Amino acid sequence: MRSLMDKVTNVRNMSVIAHVDHGKSTLTDSLVQKAGIISAAKAGEARFMDTRKDEQERGITIKSTAISLYSEVEDEDVKDIKQKTEGNQFLINLIDSPGHVDFSSEVTAALRVTDGALVVVDCVEGVCVQTETVLRQSLGERIKPVVIINKVDRALLELQVEKEDLYQSFSRTVESVNVIIATYVDPVLGDVQVYPERGTVAFGSGLHGWAFTVRQFATRYSKKFGVDRSKMMERLWGDSYFNPKTKKWTNKDKDADGKPLERAFNMFVLDPIFRLFSSIMNFKKDEIPVLLEKLEINLKSDEKDLEGKALLKVVMKKFLPAADALLEMIVIHLPSPVTAQNYRADTLYEGPSDDKACLAIKACDPKADLMLYVSKMVPTSDKGRFYAFGRVFAGTVKSGQKVRIQGPNYIPGKKDDLFVKAIQRVVLMMGRFVEPIDDCPAGNIIGLVGIDQFLLKSGTLTTDETAHNLKVMKFSVSPVVEVAVDVKNASDLPKLVEGLKRLSKSDPCVLTKMSESGEHIVAATGELHLEICLQDLENDHAGIPLKISPPVVSYRETVEAESSITALSKSPNKHNRLYLKAEPLDEEVSLAIESGKVSPKDDFKARARILADEFGWDVTDARKIWCFGPEGNGPNVVVDQTKAVQYLAEIKDSVVSGFAWASAAGPILEENLRSVRVNILDVTLHADSIHRGAGQILPTMRRATYAAILLATPRIQEPVFLVEIQCPESAVGGIYSVLNKKRGQVVSEEQRPGTPLFTVKAYLPVNESFGFTGELRQATGGQAFPQMIFDHWASLTTDPLDPTTKAGEIVTAARKRHGLKEVVPGYEEYYDKL
Amino acid sequence: MSTTAPVLSTFQDESNFEFEKYEKKQQDRGYLNPDWKDETHLFENLKNYYSINELADHLSQRDDQNSPKFKKITLQFPDSLVADSAIVSQLLSEALRKYQIDVQPKAESQTEKKHTQERSLSISCSGCECSDCNCSDKFDSKEGLNEQEVWILADTAYSACCIDEVAAEHVGGDVVVHLGDACLNAIQKLNAVYVFGKPYLDIELVVKQFKETYPATDSKVVLMADAPNSRYLSELYSKLKQSYKEIAYLDISLEKAHNSKIIDHSPTIFTSSNTIRISNRLLISDSKLEEDELINYSLFHITEPQPPHLLYLSTKFASISLYDPSSNTINQGPFPSLMKRYRYMHIARTAGTIGILVNTLSLRNTSLIINEVSKNIKEAAKKYYMFVVGKPNVAKLANFESIDCWCILGCGQGGIIVDTNNEFYKPIITPYELEMSLNPTVSWTGKWDVDFENLLNVQENNENQESLISEDNDGNSPTLEGEDEAPEFDPVTGKYISTSRPLRNIHHLEIESTSNNEENQLVKKFSTTVAIKGTVSTSATYLQNRKWTGLGSDFLNDEEYDEEGALVEEGRGGVARSYDFDVKDQQSK
Repeated sequence: MRSLMDKVTNVRNMSVIAHVDHGKSTLTDSLVQKAGIISAAKAGEARFMDTRKDEQERGITIKSTAISLYSEVEDEDVKDIKQKTEGNQFLINLIDSPGHVDFSSEVTAALRVTDGALVVVDCVEGVCVQTETVLRQSLGERIKPVVIINKVDRALLELQVEKEDLYQSFSRTVESVNVIIATYVDPVLGDVQVYPERGTVAFGSGLHGWAFTVRQFATRYSKKFGVDRSKMMERLWGDSYFNPKTKKWTNKDKDADGKPLERAFNMFVLDPIFRLFSSIMNFKKDEIPVLLEKLEINLKSDEKDLEGKALLKVVMKKFLPAADALLEMIVIHLPSPVTAQNYRADTLYEGPSDDKACLAIKACDPKADLMLYVSKMVPTSDKGRFYAFGRVFAGTVKSGQKVRIQGPNYIPGKKDDLFVKAIQRVVLMMGRFVEPIDDCPAGNIIGLVGIDQFLLKSGTLTTDETAHNLKVMKFSVSPVVEVAVDVKNASDLPKLVEGLKRLSKSDPCVLTKMSESGEHIVAATGELHLEICLQDLENDHAGIPLKISPPVVSYRETVEAESSITALSKSPNKHNRLYLKAEPLDEEVSLAIESGKVSPKDDFKARARILADEFGWDVTDARKIWCFGPEGNGPNVVVDQTKAVQYLAEIKDSVVSGFAWASAAGPILEENLRSVRVNILDVTLHADSIHRGAGQILPTMRRATYAAILLATPRIQEPVFLVEIQCPESAVGGIYSVLNKKRGQVVSEEQRPGTPLFTVKAYLPVNESFGFTGELRQATGGQAFPQMIFDHWASLTTDPLDPTTKAGEIVTAARKRHGLKEVVPGYEEYYDKL
Repeated sequence: MSTTAPVLSTFQDESNFEFEKYEKKQQDRGYLNPDWKDETHLFENLKNYYSINELADHLSQRDDQNSPKFKKITLQFPDSLVADSAIVSQLLSEALRKYQIDVQPKAESQTEKKHTQERSLSISCSGCECSDCNCSDKFDSKEGLNEQEVWILADTAYSACCIDEVAAEHVGGDVVVHLGDACLNAIQKLNAVYVFGKPYLDIELVVKQFKETYPATDSKVVLMADAPNSRYLSELYSKLKQSYKEIAYLDISLEKAHNSKIIDHSPTIFTSSNTIRISNRLLISDSKLEEDELINYSLFHITEPQPPHLLYLSTKFASISLYDPSSNTINQGPFPSLMKRYRYMHIARTAGTIGILVNTLSLRNTSLIINEVSKNIKEAAKKYYMFVVGKPNVAKLANFESIDCWCILGCGQGGIIVDTNNEFYKPIITPYELEMSLNPTVSWTGKWDVDFENLLNVQENNENQESLISEDNDGNSPTLEGEDEAPEFDPVTGKYISTSRPLRNIHHLEIESTSNNEENQLVKKFSTTVAIKGTVSTSATYLQNRKWTGLGSDFLNDEEYDEEGALVEEGRGGVARSYDFDVKDQQSK
């Protein structure tokens, strides 16, 4: 396997992504089985990639798991590969990812280190919210997708659909996948839409272990008919019909006499499968051997005694082994690291696209300086230690090699977040096992031992002193659900703190912090995520009994209007004055800042251009953004609108610090500000520098910001989930009533064509989402399951300063929790008279 | 090219530089009996309130040579009582002279006429509130022929509850008379006399409020008051004892302050069986109490204690009710929470630079603690800077932006800043908390210990233990040459902090030598060097990250910046409190 790693052209790094319960892990089993790691009998049930006990118990994937597989492809198939290859041996580094929306961050981390994605879509449920999310993410990372339409057995056995209906359903699913791809595709990737006739779509059943591509059937028939395979492939999909009488292909669904013709796909591809299904499931014992012989399927003697579903499984597995179809698709259509890194380098690398490191990534050069991205940390069996899991983008990583570890806040030339350390060991990740190797060249996915203490979640490893970071991952979800945790025995406190550290490491998205009032907070993306995190914390990472508060939501403070009057604050010595006004920042701008599109790291001129062109800012204002906050990159800005103020540059640092302070804890409930733009209108400064030092300006900036916010119709923002619920029509009423009760807003309701299922989409405040799943189940007799994903921040329309309103109640409760006076101080507290 | 300097953005009129004025000349002396409001009896009342006669009695002690034991007497007033200072010193010198005449009639004729030097000694003027200076006109005290001089110490720099030794030493005082509420903490060397005063308290009202606050007669309550009001506790106790069985009270104990004397206050003689001490108080109760039982008791405190003391009390009792005698109301919180301190403790763990803020100069063991604290910080590979800033306030501390966390050394009753309103830019912790945060493992006792002596004892114990441990614990993963130590996890932000130990292992800091003489720029050298005199300067590192790096740096990015510059013009003149244009403005009016 190690020798294969050197042949980078024959490596495929891919992740399996999909909506929850569409059968990723089960499908992956087929591939793992093919590699001989689990027995064929268990494939489809073992869920080999679900390495955790709770994953097995709950039947859902929580952590993404990687495995390296070796496979051989027939020489003939190799010819079809349009990129450079050597020989017919391939190494597939596969990552199985979770489908539940709460764990989207795991998908993000998996996508970063792979070049291709196998998108699994349930043939009955179709494209769901998470399918869209993960597809969007993968395209954003410039990752090429191939699709498998899974659970075809369900359509055949449960829904008993006809061939043409099934074809229509397939084609609709393919179409909706393509719609998403078309929406989010990066032009650099070229045409990445999926086409069954080109072999980028497979159909199959993970549970039964079979799958096929049109290409496979085309191969069979091309021999039989003596037609070129690629021609055959095109004929086996779409509006292509075969007239058995004339033995001619046509694109009309009627023959010359007006009699309906059967679609080629139905006739040549679906027909054998349908025949097998009907004869086996209807126990037509006499038909079966004939069919088997015709399809060249040889059963072992003991298998011949089976009947019904068991026989069907065996037969289908022999007829159309899932692994073959998938491998073929992966090897032929997914890019090798060499191919992929060429176009991915720009999006991966923070530095200039023509520097040494970037060129090495583009070339996937194993001899260049090391560039390695650690995308997540995987717990080892050794408690408290982690493997750093990542991808070598350039150079070769070796055991014992001394590397520069650059954390997410590293800035080239600075010393912050930079460590030098030797890598102890390099390992291959094989599901629940690891295999040590000596070194690993560019293009491969590996685990590293011995550097876990230097990286919290992710980071860049390099041997090049001038190298910039590989881009920090942006997650599609945010940790908006919080609980406070405390120890039951005070003596366990050190263990809790250590546990929180390990928890933050083990999950890409979980956030641990401390509230202003000194409570340890664990923040997660949703209730399930939180539950898993707390369980891990209590049982593994800390290993101590915990007290856990009921979940709460983190809020944001914002403004609705411009400050009614200019907020003026004087410095403690009364010799300096700041005149500010606050106004709301457009939601689009906030989103652009949050997504990194507008960032403090940008060149200020380029940033001003974007703000002026896309968001309608005044160019002068856009150039005079002093800072972002909180943490220097949040969605709040300070804009300098002063005219010719002496010494102004000198106080900039103090103003920035003061704003960082104010924006991290706002005046209403000590939460982060969001979408607030503070304009500095005028500044009066004392002529002596000592009287306008940081001590005078810094607290004054905070006070002035508070006053400006309180004068600008302050509001609080709450996080809102997008909820997607699939259910039968009878349950829709129940969903509506629960949503109504919980301040939910229905966005859309549509029936999925060809099924009795309805899809309801709605917005639901996170605050109301606690227990929502349970109530929904109750109201619909267990027929509706929601998928909730953080969507946006929404302002509460009521006045947070009035304790009788909804917003006021939230504020009062939060202030009480933080140990503050329950009444929000008025602006007069921070406002000084002239 | 513009030849004029840029105009100031805002017109600066005199309102910018108006001096602050005090409108009210009359002091509201709420601590006196409301029936005595009449100003005519003020002298009499104050004499009574401050027990001047008893005080004079004590101060007129003579030594063997029949010369006064205390030649220079210094009076220290808290800000709230400073309005009385002039009157008190006048009354006191009158009273002392009487003694002089009584005791030493001959001496009078022998001594030359000498002015009593009544002077207010101002140490620092910032935030000075002693506005009643005009009072001193009243008694030019020509009659004072005194071997004993009375001085008023104005503007105590640190906590008003402590004896201000340094101020007294400025005049070489022999004794400090401390008036008002006091912490009774031990001081280094001077003699101290405490006069608490006799504030007015309507006991019946207190009893009524108490009964409303604690309706259940089996409530477990401890009574307490500030030092002046403690005189009423025993009476209050006996009154309440009739209906409440499980109550106790805390009376002042002088154990710690051995070279001091309290005037006109006789602490209850306690029976030796009961020796529960809560800072400077002793628990007095008929029933026997164990110290750990106290946590089940509520505290009823007359007057509001200073924030640090309140915080301390809140760790000792189940709940606290504060009685305000002037408004006759009960305040039951919310009080500052200790959990916030827990957060601060964690911030200190990952702080790279710690500012030691010395907020006392007179407490015993101060210098020992400073040494101890700085040694510990250094051992934890953190950087420290020491500060003495007079009365600390938000602005003063915010001037030092590179400090990540402050450690304040001060009196536990009033000399520690408890940031109740989140005003301070960086957290302020006590040496005890710092001690905990410098521990390699996270520890939190939930205690609030501000006693220097306790702290020193604890440290001694720790050291003994550590020396035992350090022998077999030689670091689990030795760091190899050229490698870095792991960063530290900060539970406050949930991030790794690599700057928490700036003095540890500084390989890649690459401190550059100054041998590079090609460029003759001072600034350049400074900006690449983070070391000053062979040690890492976190402040220098901080300064490097500033955007504004000195004059002219703000023009570098300015496209319209004209290389030629402007003509030199005459600028502003004068000092901050009145510039030349202020003077002009004044004149033009």
